Amino acid sequence: MKTTTRTRRIISLLAISLVSALCLGGAAAVASATSATASASTGNGWIRLTHLSPNTPAVDVYLYSFGDSSAMIVLKHVSYGTVSPYERVAAGTYSVAMRGAGAAAASPAVLSASVQIEPGHAYTVAGLGPESGLRLAVLDDRLTTPPGQSVVRVIQASLKQHVVNVTFGSVTLARNLAFGAVSSWHTVSPGYETVHVTSDASSAVTLAADTVHTLVVLDGANGLEIDNLVDAAGNTAIPVGGVATGFGGTAPHGSPSPVPWLVAITAGAVLAVTGALRLRPRLRPRPHRV
Amino acid sequence: MVYTAALAAGLVAVGGGLAGLLLTQHHGPAAVRQAAAVIVALPTPTGPIAAPPPSDLRPVAAPVSLTIPAIGVGTRLIRLGLLPDGAMQVPSSTSIAGWYTGGPRPGAVGPAVIVGHIDSRTGPGVFYRLAGLRRGDRVYVRRADGTLALFRVTSVRTYLKDHFPTQAVYGPVPDAELRLITCGGAFDPALGSYLSNVVVFAIAVI
Repeated sequence: MKTTTRTRRIISLLAISLVSALCLGGAAAVASATSATASASTGNGWIRLTHLSPNTPAVDVYLYSFGDSSAMIVLKHVSYGTVSPYERVAAGTYSVAMRGAGAAAASPAVLSASVQIEPGHAYTVAGLGPESGLRLAVLDDRLTTPPGQSVVRVIQASLKQHVVNVTFGSVTLARNLAFGAVSSWHTVSPGYETVHVTSDASSAVTLAADTVHTLVVLDGANGLEIDNLVDAAGNTAIPVGGVATGFGGTAPHGSPSPVPWLVAITAGAVLAVTGALRLRPRLRPRPHRV
Repeated sequence: MVYTAALAAGLVAVGGGLAGLLLTQHHGPAAVRQAAAVIVALPTPTGPIAAPPPSDLRPVAAPVSLTIPAIGVGTRLIRLGLLPDGAMQVPSSTSIAGWYTGGPRPGAVGPAVIVGHIDSRTGPGVFYRLAGLRRGDRVYVRRADGTLALFRVTSVRTYLKDHFPTQAVYGPVPDAELRLITCGGAFDPALGSYLSNVVVFAIAVI
């Protein structure tokens, strides 16, 4: 009967070994399948500042994050016609203040405006109008174009010519646009064309494909001038799908399954244990009967 | 005698099994891991750093080389277009990166795009360590006129190629930005390609 007990013991050992071998294999498979992919929106927007009031002297422009009394950005001595590059800022509420050039940062602002910056959106804060009626306008800028097209608008910042008509080639961009006003957006075929402002000024301008432009009508030393701003630019031909930039030479080879090795270990262990148990009685000294 | 043999054979099997388990259960070829462990120390490029142009059409010169000190990348840039099927052309060499000519030049307004291989069939490519870049790391692009455009990494993302975010990568932006693209994620031996792209987003430092 001892043999039966021993056999049972061996069978239970075998079962325990197999179960632990399978568990090990399973854990290894789970670990190798783990991977992570990040994806979240950036939460940034853009803002630029400009002085477009012809008879207003140069100003200092301050940008404050809401509730913070120290300015994030200070642009010194911004004169008529100056446009800052876009600043990339976290989405949120900001305020813009204008002070006379050289005025103390703590002095009362001549003008101020609050700007709500949404993620992924861009804004132009412009000092517009005559000095007597100067105001800060917050313009919603556009970042997208129909594929292959150019999108353009006009800001009328000329006092010399109070009301203008603006054309790009044969396309009318603005009709009877008054001083301090901003036209709506127009989608045009991209190209190199002459922009006419009423009959007072003309300038050859390139409006690029997949690019957003703002044309600013300014008072120049002699007559009017046209400033062509690039509000946003993309890729003119958008590649389809992802990019094939790898041949797999450094890819982790799917680790070979550990199961065959674990089975070999288990089987070996069973064999060894069985052998050892069978050998044991022979090694014991036989009892002597007296 | 039989039992002694069983004991011996069993012990041999256990030993062999353990050895096999230890030898096969590692990740990636040893040669690659060794190569990857060495980052060549690159000198930071010097030269005039040209601020991105204000919002106008003043052209910047075409890019000629790329340096990313944090991951030991220093490569000249070839020019890339589109393939007949509309997909992005990629460099024929896995050790050189390329600039996509269908987009803005690095430093001009818009998202300039530079593409490089993560690997060849046998080892690391020019952008092998791209996914290791971190927010704030610097990227230098030298242009044909000798000026440098300097960019700062804002994020590093991995996207399944089946869900490539075309607009976020190639679409219009109001400032001078840079996208660095390579492969990543799982490799599908049947397709012979990686299933994901790693995209590094960077913005020009004024």
